[in-house]
Amino acid sequence: MAEEPVFNRIAVLRADRGVSRRDLAAALGVHYQTVGYLERGEYSPSLHLALRIAEFFEVPVEVVFSLKPFPKLGSTL
Amino acid sequence: MSWRERWHAHTARSMEHAMFVPLYRTRARRRLLVATGATGLLVMWADAVVSWYIAPSDTAVTVNFVLLTVALVCYLPSVTTLNAATRGLASLPERRLDERQVAERLRAYTVANTLMRLILTLVVALVLASMWGDGPAARVPGAAIALGLIAVWLTHLVLPLLVAGWRLPDPPPDDDDRDDHDDHHQAGDQAGVA
Repeated sequence: MAEEPVFNRIAVLRADRGVSRRDLAAALGVHYQTVGYLERGEYSPSLHLALRIAEFFEVPVEVVFSLKPFPKLGSTL
Repeated sequence: MSWRERWHAHTARSMEHAMFVPLYRTRARRRLLVATGATGLLVMWADAVVSWYIAPSDTAVTVNFVLLTVALVCYLPSVTTLNAATRGLASLPERRLDERQVAERLRAYTVANTLMRLILTLVVALVLASMWGDGPAARVPGAAIALGLIAVWLTHLVLPLLVAGWRLPDPPPDDDDRDDHDDHHQAGDQAGVA
């Protein structure tokens, strides 16, 4: 069964907070390449990891992950 | 901490650093490494078959030595590099891997299990067919049995790594400079998992 797409804004949040991939990976307890694969959309995290990512950035999980593409920055202004 | 734990900790630390990157930077290069490792395994199998027909003899000893050397020359560099490329996906204990690595390892083991089943089926069929009747192939020398068992063991051992190396997508950049560079490009983007 093909996986349904899950969109995320980890790269945006990480850049906004000035956190490196290695720092985020260390905080989440995953390999730093996993953060890269998440950002590139090549890996869909477990619910547990998704919640921990949202907790790290102190935002609700739906701010980080969505089943629909996020609107482009500025498109809602 | 036991020696085994120390070894795993050392291996896990080593896998944190990017080693031999130019050798596995592209998918084509990784698949070439997989092909080289598979060639090493094939030569091991060929060695067992050759021994079956010409052992015991001085020629068999010479041929064994040459083929084993070729097998190791193919096998060792490719397996070492693939281990570095996959960051210990197939060699580290599960508790030292994260959820993505565990999932990828399970996929690699599943594919490798299927391949191994096909290989064993083929080997059993060929051995039984070769031993049919009273020809010279009906007698199996001990050297051929030993080399065949080593080939089975090595194939079983390394097949998950070869599968993982074959499937491996291009890794994200490792160094912080590239990390920062990516930040600028990806800040306005979003990712979707298909």
